Amino acid sequence: MNFRPMAHLFANALEGFFFGSGKAHVVTGVALIILAGLAMSLWRMDRRLRRLESEQHDPKA
Amino acid sequence: MSSWNSLWKWGSVALLAYVIVRGFSTPLQPGLVESSPSRLAPGKHALTLQAVGQPFAEPDAESADFSLILRSGKELVRTDITAITPHSVEADVIIPEAVPSPAMDAFLFTPEAGTLFLGNAFFVEDAAVGPLPADLRAEAPTEVAPDLGFSFPYQPTIVESIRNLLWHVPMWFAMFFVMGIGFVASLAQLRTGLVKWDLRAEAAVRTGLVFGILGLATGSLWARFTWGAWWVSDPQLNGALVTVLLYSGYRVLRAALGEDERVGRIAAVYNVFAFVMLVILLMVLPRYTESLHPGKDGNPGFNSYDLDNSLRAVFYPAVIGWGALCYWMYTLRLRMNRVEHHLLTR
Repeated sequence: MNFRPMAHLFANALEGFFFGSGKAHVVTGVALIILAGLAMSLWRMDRRLRRLESEQHDPKA
Repeated sequence: MSSWNSLWKWGSVALLAYVIVRGFSTPLQPGLVESSPSRLAPGKHALTLQAVGQPFAEPDAESADFSLILRSGKELVRTDITAITPHSVEADVIIPEAVPSPAMDAFLFTPEAGTLFLGNAFFVEDAAVGPLPADLRAEAPTEVAPDLGFSFPYQPTIVESIRNLLWHVPMWFAMFFVMGIGFVASLAQLRTGLVKWDLRAEAAVRTGLVFGILGLATGSLWARFTWGAWWVSDPQLNGALVTVLLYSGYRVLRAALGEDERVGRIAAVYNVFAFVMLVILLMVLPRYTESLHPGKDGNPGFNSYDLDNSLRAVFYPAVIGWGALCYWMYTLRLRMNRVEHHLLTR
């Protein structure tokens, strides 16, 4: 099976989309924002769980 | 949170931030992707070859510093370069009445970017099979080692989408890792009957499913750019989908059993079965059949010659980063399970 003709079409399209138009920086920025959001939500969940765990271990709290 | 606990969690986030920045900003090494006209007949022709990735020539480069040679069978055909741009080369070639082989590969020798290759770049029609005339033969110039700085390797067909390697593969590794934890927990649950192992297995499968679905999504996107379809009927791809469906069945089973006291034991048996199927479907069966997927029969994988040092410098942090993030998510789910179990049983 020969995939080369398809590679020509998509390789150039991808090249142009990401790098020719400077969109690689936009993709990088969006990915970093998503990662930061995910990390913050995990961190908040971590803190809340710690509070719940301490309440469970100390019924008076 | 103890300092070590914070360190590895935020370390995973920092590693992934590095992977994102490096992964999207590192240029691709140059590679030839397109030739025109692709079909040639005996006579004189003007050829054009297009490249992607980093420029292989300066805008004001001298044609004399470059050399374009076509290979027909075991013989080399001379060309005369007429124009060089950072991403293309134009050359004149004379196709004789007889060529050793109708399929011709192209080699572009550059002073800084090394040798660029395009297999089956041209096809000669209406020519007999025979040796090349002496005046059209070329001598291969001495190859120079490429001096491209930090850049990702050029792979035909994959091209720019090689960056997806930093997402797709580590996500599957993370899924394997956490499903392995679930498998061990289920075995321990079956041996001891303790609820704590069931809570671990449930958290592991739930987290692993997230990464399995992400692995499928990134794989499908990759297939679209390299194979031209979102999904192809391939043993590796179908195996991955069946695996994710099997683990979804684990969740359905637990939900169906509800508060039944046998839920832990039944789910553990199912989870052991699911993990064995995961190994068979993803690591055994695809190796016995033809597969488009890299690393399987009939298709090259990301072996030592593909994963060059620049890619390794980002790929290994990606594996550690995704693995640690997955483990962080697993520990959160496990702690949530414990709190929930404590509230339900007190």
